[in-house]
Amino acid sequence: MAAAAVAPAAKLEDADALIDSVETFIFDCDGVIWKGDKLIDGVPETLDLLRSKGKRLVFVTNNSTKSRKQYGKKFETLGLNIDEEEIFASSFAAAAYLQSIDFPKDKKVYVIGEEGILKELELAGFQHLGGPTDGDKKIELKPGFYMEHDKDVGAVVVGFDRYFNYYKVQYGTLCIRENPGCLFIATNRDAVTHLTDAQEWAGGGSMVGAILGSTKQEPVVVGKPSTFMMDYLAKKFGITTSQICMVGDRLDTDILFGQNGGCKTLLVLSGVTSLQTLQSPDNSIQPDFYTNQISDFLTLKAATV
Amino acid sequence: MANGLPDPPCGLLTADSARSLVDSVDAFLFDCDGVIWKGDKLIEGVSQTMELLRKLGKKLVFVTNNSRKSRRQYSKKFRSLGLEVTEDEIFTSSFAAAMFLKLNNFPPEKKVYVVGEDGILEELKLAGFECFGGPEDGKKNIKLEADFYFEHDKSVGAVVVGLDQYFNYYKMQYARICISENPGCLFIATNRDPSGHMTSGQEWPGAGTMVAAVSCSVQKEPIVVGKPSSFLMDFLLKSFNLETSRMCMVGDRLDTDILFGHNTGCKTLLVLSGCTALPELLDASNKIHPDLYTTSVYDLVGLLQN
Repeated sequence: MAAAAVAPAAKLEDADALIDSVETFIFDCDGVIWKGDKLIDGVPETLDLLRSKGKRLVFVTNNSTKSRKQYGKKFETLGLNIDEEEIFASSFAAAAYLQSIDFPKDKKVYVIGEEGILKELELAGFQHLGGPTDGDKKIELKPGFYMEHDKDVGAVVVGFDRYFNYYKVQYGTLCIRENPGCLFIATNRDAVTHLTDAQEWAGGGSMVGAILGSTKQEPVVVGKPSTFMMDYLAKKFGITTSQICMVGDRLDTDILFGQNGGCKTLLVLSGVTSLQTLQSPDNSIQPDFYTNQISDFLTLKAATV
Repeated sequence: MANGLPDPPCGLLTADSARSLVDSVDAFLFDCDGVIWKGDKLIEGVSQTMELLRKLGKKLVFVTNNSRKSRRQYSKKFRSLGLEVTEDEIFTSSFAAAMFLKLNNFPPEKKVYVVGEDGILEELKLAGFECFGGPEDGKKNIKLEADFYFEHDKSVGAVVVGLDQYFNYYKMQYARICISENPGCLFIATNRDPSGHMTSGQEWPGAGTMVAAVSCSVQKEPIVVGKPSSFLMDFLLKSFNLETSRMCMVGDRLDTDILFGHNTGCKTLLVLSGCTALPELLDASNKIHPDLYTTSVYDLVGLLQN
């Protein structure tokens, strides 16, 4: 018996109907709201429209380089009125996950990642080691060279890290392999990321892949498409997921996240995914709708008879 | 049944099975890390073992996944440890990468980008290929400015990834961009070992780390030229007049050394002097069973002299 074919995504025609059918919009950020440091056009007006219709807006990004507070500042710089409490970055997700499992405060967290993760761990009251400064530490594989590691590390959190190096791989591996019960947590597994507007860059998935390669252990993933953040914010805001529309530019993180959570899904073509990729026979992830960019909400109206 | 454990589907090396093994093979293939040496320290009894096997008329060949050195550099290492082994008797994953490109007629006008160390660069140059990257790129960083554009050489036709203690984001990105944007660019991995005894005191992340990082980023699987791929065996067979059924692969890792032996039709002997301990071998989840196992290669000397 052939597997049921996935219904292909429908081009968004009647934006109002979609808007009226949900209470909350979850937006990815890179490729949906901004590209690098440039706001995508029409975004402020679109968000205003949704707020005026009484919709809740939430921003969920896999980018772990900033904390929620730092993202709040980025939104502000771009002229958008967003509250910190509406932002859920994977850096926050890592700290929230540790809280949700009652990670003991006397244990430490080794971080292979950037500032955002360190800040969120601090806010949540967890002790941490590693981070960007370990990027300056060097290894020389010479006779007698031995790496010590802190036996109190109970979790290694791995995210996007421009300061990634062999020292960190070994430190993280030693903790995971030798500290009993040490957790391996990944903020996300995105293969590529948009550090700059013009190009694609190796994403957090590379660093996570490296640690997986050296430990042969699968991580707990807290960012999209894992439903951890969905469950967290559904609980926090008291919303049912069928009343949510997930809007993103990436099929294997954003759209899958929305589908895994039972939400409606809208793919925008203003980011990493082209129409060609969406419609390719190799693609099995079909959002409910697709459109060029979110400002289409302002222009796409049902045809008036 | 011993110690309450079921008999493993592979046998502990005994005087009888050692004699039988030696009589049934003409050549011994040795892995190096964890079998011959650990870091820069020779494992006890290795010279006596090699001497005995040579006296018995056996051909000795060394097959290592460690790509940090070239065959020539490994020959030097053997010599510094008091062992006479020529370049031609050594088969490294760095050599394998260069031979793969040669066999597949890699065009001379194309270049090779290397995420790895000197061993790979040297073997590629010896085979006549233009290559760059390597340890030098370990000093390069990306500029974190909004309009920074990452340039790359469009004539790179292959990226070779191996063990790299100078691994960094720059190299990850360079590899990624070549594989994703240069049409037909090959993605070659010397090997995928997760770890190894790069120093005698502890294990360190292996090439598997760097390969996984690049593979996850480009969402493609590499062509693996080192163990357990049987690629290197073809060279061995061309160089020496041997049959694989008359060879014994001796190694310390199940999913590279022993699997390589199985893939190529050799007999296999696991030694516990390296990265594999007895519990792992005997664990029910382990599906790779060597014909025989023993503590270290030196056991052959004791058992054969009985």
